[in-house]
Amino acid sequence: MATHSPAHAPAGPGGHVHHEDPRPVSYWWRRAFVGVIFGVLGSFLLVFLLRALFGMTPLWDGGVMAGVAGLLGGIGFLWGIGCFDTWLSWARGNPLTEDHSFHGVSNWKQYFRINTDHKVIGIQYLAMTLFFMVCGGIMALLIRTELAAPGQQIADGQTYNGLLSMHATLMIFVFAVPVFGGIANYVLPIMIGAKDMAFPRLNALSFWFLPVAGFMFLAAAFVGWFGAAWTAYPPLASQGLEGQTLFELGVQFAGASSIATAINFLATLITMRAPGMTIWRMPILAWATGVTSVLAVFATPFIAGSQFLTMFDRLMGTNFFVPDQGGDVIMYQLIFWFYSHPAVYIMLLPGFGIISEVIATFARKPLFGYRAMAFSLVAIAVLGFGVWAHHMFVSGMAAWLRVPMMVTTIIIAVPTGVKMWSWLATLWRGKIHMKPPMLWALGFLFTFLIGGLSGVFNGIVPADIHVSDTYFVTAHLHYVLYGGTVYTVFAGIYYWFPKATGRMLNERLSQWHFWLTFIGTQITFMPMHWQGLQGMPRRVADYDPRFELVNSIETVGSYMLGIATIIFFYNVYWSLKHGDRASWNPWRGRTLEWMVSSPPPLFNFDVIPQVVGGPYQYGIKDARHAVVFAPEEFGGELTEDTRYPVLVIANEALSSQTLVDEIRSRNADGLWSFEILVPLGDSDRVIAERRLATTLAALSEYGVSATGRVAEGDVVAVGGAEGKARQPHEIVVATLPLNSSAWMRQDAVDRIRKASGNVPTTHFIVNGDDARAIGAASSLPLTMIVATEAVGAEALAAAVMARSDAQPGRFSIVCPLDLPQPRWGVESSEIRRDAGERMTATVNALVSSGVQVQGEVMDDGPAAALPLAIDALKPAQIVIAGVNGEARALAEAAAAAAGDIPVDTVNLGAHAGS
Amino acid sequence: MATTAGQAPVASHGQETHGKKHGLNAELIAMLLFIGSELMLFASLFTAYFFIRYGVANETWPPLKKDGEPFELPVLLTGINTAILVGSSFTLWWGEKCLKAGDRQGLIRGLWITILMGGTFLLIQLNEYAHLGFTPQDRAFSGAFYTLTGFHGAHVAVGLIVLSMCLRRAYKNDFTATNHTPLAAGSYYWHFVDIVWVLLFLLVYVI
Repeated sequence: MATHSPAHAPAGPGGHVHHEDPRPVSYWWRRAFVGVIFGVLGSFLLVFLLRALFGMTPLWDGGVMAGVAGLLGGIGFLWGIGCFDTWLSWARGNPLTEDHSFHGVSNWKQYFRINTDHKVIGIQYLAMTLFFMVCGGIMALLIRTELAAPGQQIADGQTYNGLLSMHATLMIFVFAVPVFGGIANYVLPIMIGAKDMAFPRLNALSFWFLPVAGFMFLAAAFVGWFGAAWTAYPPLASQGLEGQTLFELGVQFAGASSIATAINFLATLITMRAPGMTIWRMPILAWATGVTSVLAVFATPFIAGSQFLTMFDRLMGTNFFVPDQGGDVIMYQLIFWFYSHPAVYIMLLPGFGIISEVIATFARKPLFGYRAMAFSLVAIAVLGFGVWAHHMFVSGMAAWLRVPMMVTTIIIAVPTGVKMWSWLATLWRGKIHMKPPMLWALGFLFTFLIGGLSGVFNGIVPADIHVSDTYFVTAHLHYVLYGGTVYTVFAGIYYWFPKATGRMLNERLSQWHFWLTFIGTQITFMPMHWQGLQGMPRRVADYDPRFELVNSIETVGSYMLGIATIIFFYNVYWSLKHGDRASWNPWRGRTLEWMVSSPPPLFNFDVIPQVVGGPYQYGIKDARHAVVFAPEEFGGELTEDTRYPVLVIANEALSSQTLVDEIRSRNADGLWSFEILVPLGDSDRVIAERRLATTLAALSEYGVSATGRVAEGDVVAVGGAEGKARQPHEIVVATLPLNSSAWMRQDAVDRIRKASGNVPTTHFIVNGDDARAIGAASSLPLTMIVATEAVGAEALAAAVMARSDAQPGRFSIVCPLDLPQPRWGVESSEIRRDAGERMTATVNALVSSGVQVQGEVMDDGPAAALPLAIDALKPAQIVIAGVNGEARALAEAAAAAAGDIPVDTVNLGAHAGS
Repeated sequence: MATTAGQAPVASHGQETHGKKHGLNAELIAMLLFIGSELMLFASLFTAYFFIRYGVANETWPPLKKDGEPFELPVLLTGINTAILVGSSFTLWWGEKCLKAGDRQGLIRGLWITILMGGTFLLIQLNEYAHLGFTPQDRAFSGAFYTLTGFHGAHVAVGLIVLSMCLRRAYKNDFTATNHTPLAAGSYYWHFVDIVWVLLFLLVYVI
């Protein structure tokens, strides 16, 4: 857990006590009910009076009344639920109160009342849009059931049109477009270091528009559906079923929600970024939300316009789309698609942002091409305004518009390709953590790629003319929206669920959800490409019997998707009750939302953070994104002390300086604790323990927190079992180079990765000289052993081992030789060679026993040699290892040279000499 | 407290701790974006108008009513009306200028004149509707005409409500020379409504 848990009691940031509005949830819903009743009755009265005033016949026009009633009833609901209270109070001349009494929730029921807290609104948004996703999904399953076999199964043609219109309308207007408003509402203010959105009350209003819109669509099922699909082309829409009015009104409410949220996001992004959060330090999700918001602000009015016009044609008898009265139906399509093509990017770009966050975090690499990622978002948005007529190649619009629109459509593949390659380049050589959010991100890459490529295909005029209004288009749009919206939304939900709820989702259920969805997507939509190319028309309840087999397979696939969704909701329910507690930063993310508690405190930050660097500096030593300060009573900077384990598995390579340095550099992240495992295999336990002790002592000298133990079993068994049990952040397997390591011949690294359940496993190579050199623990004290006769004797080796075991350190054996003159003579050479051989034997014996030791034979007597040796080695201690008589002479020489270095003497006994 | 009574009805959070000074605060940025959105709404309606206009231009312009007579729009009267509405933008600007010089009475005078001129515009427009001699149902052109002018009229009405609220605030002495965001936002909106009318007048009445 974190060092500091932000608490808001007793005083909030404004110095006032936070209190909740005392009125219960039921109060607001009673008021909403009254508001709807008044709105509906009032609109009946209004229409009646106006019609009477202007002498219109008939006085009671059901269609007009339904339209006005929908509008005023919706507004009445919004008033009743409390969206306008503060503004109306201000308009009456009262001073504004800003006591935050509509901020935060203390129990789950309060999610059902108006709230101005961006985190609560985010969850309300997500829950509402997921609810509509389920409704739309049920429609989809009904559609697939109807299409499971040729002929009529469960729905006649009119109902089928209603089902498919409702499915698309719910999925697009109240799921795909607003769902990112939910995710961004939750994380965006935290990501940019703000305490809330710029306009919390407007934010609440934006949310409450949604249920009005969604339930208006759903209500259409009870007054006679709307059957003109989500595109609502006239003349079908302007003459069609009774529910069409509710569709037109619902779109207005959903659009108002979209515009209001977008304005709010932009104002927040422009004015409320934390100090230091320059636009080039914003997470890509912030970029994506900003760009999407620009699209929403400037494109959404076009669909509002188009729906106003169809509504006037339906209810007021205008002739916008009546050709013999000078109207023009193509005009509707142009206005509609001028919104609805940019709307595709409204449904995709925030998803791209989420994927960028997820891929960088789970590949542990800086996002490749950060600026290109940002610019490509802008490019997609700008180009997105110039491609709308590619939906209309066969509509009979001006023919000269086709080729320019084809060209712009294909050009859009360029910035999209930039993004695709950047994600792949981010993955390349990353340490990929196959956690659920990453699974969704990879599923997105696969699925969206197919949708994107078939989009290019669709953009080419002749190809499009062939596949227009066939299942090829259905396949394309579902690949795009399943990949680009559903997968990215789930990636976002799995990524931020621990942050929002403080609980981890169940891993097994998450895996089931992903794989069922992924396979279900491919089974359901892949064969549609073929069907479309074969000419099966879309939006028709019946089909040629030759398509029966693929259709029934697709129906099975769609049921898989349904089951997967049930698993998801069960997972959420189960994890909220029983899930593991989430730490502040379970994924080791770098952006600001991971620097606050899970769930975050009421106002996110007690003190606005200072941003000091980019958001994706994974694996870069000492890089920081932001400094988050704790309140004064806690003092100083907010830090985390939850340290995820990194398992280091090594034996022969263990006590080398390169490995110690590697661990030190990882430790500089400040995020990990290290656990060293020494698999014994068939090597000697004592030796392994000695190596481990030396390494641990060296690491501790450097201030690295590490534990370690010697484990029975071979490297794969130990690494796999511990990796599975501990689920460390990473496993580092350190070995000698391939040709001298026994482990590597057995694919140890890959097998450990598999056995541990895909924990990222890194192979770290230590060369043999490093493994043997005593530099290994250069932070440890060096003991200089002075020996002449004893060199080569087992007793000397035993004595050094005993000292090493007592206190791990480095040892250097110095052998000063009192050579006879001339030193180049035969006798001297003999002595030198003999001493050298004995020294090699001792050092080898010690090194292979895990002691950090080196040896040197010196060409001078103790009196001359020792000062030089002490000067060069700077020992912390000198030990005289003498054999009988010579010990005294050595000790005297050493004492003379040692200065204040302690000198110790061990007598190895008479028989130790060689 | 982040906000005082004089500030916009939608107040922002936590900005006091940012210590940043922007020429445009969040409220005015939001109003500008909203105006951008509104402009696009009118753009969609103008698109409809031009499609209808050029769809029938093969025959005659102005198009013929159901009774065979061409549509006629009172250009002179509407021109005078246009001058009134454009003039109201200047009176509002003058009122704001008075406030910035510390003259609250000047602001109140400016707002009163602006609101009266805006109201006059609406009344003349309604009067024009009553005497045009065709209805929205006549042909596609008349639908486009009533939709455009009707949407604009509704925006003028909203602008008048906003300015009336500002007037009330001005009487309560809530605006100061440096702190008058709601007034500034309202005046942006009013200028936008005027500009749209000038466009509408030129594109629908004149050409």
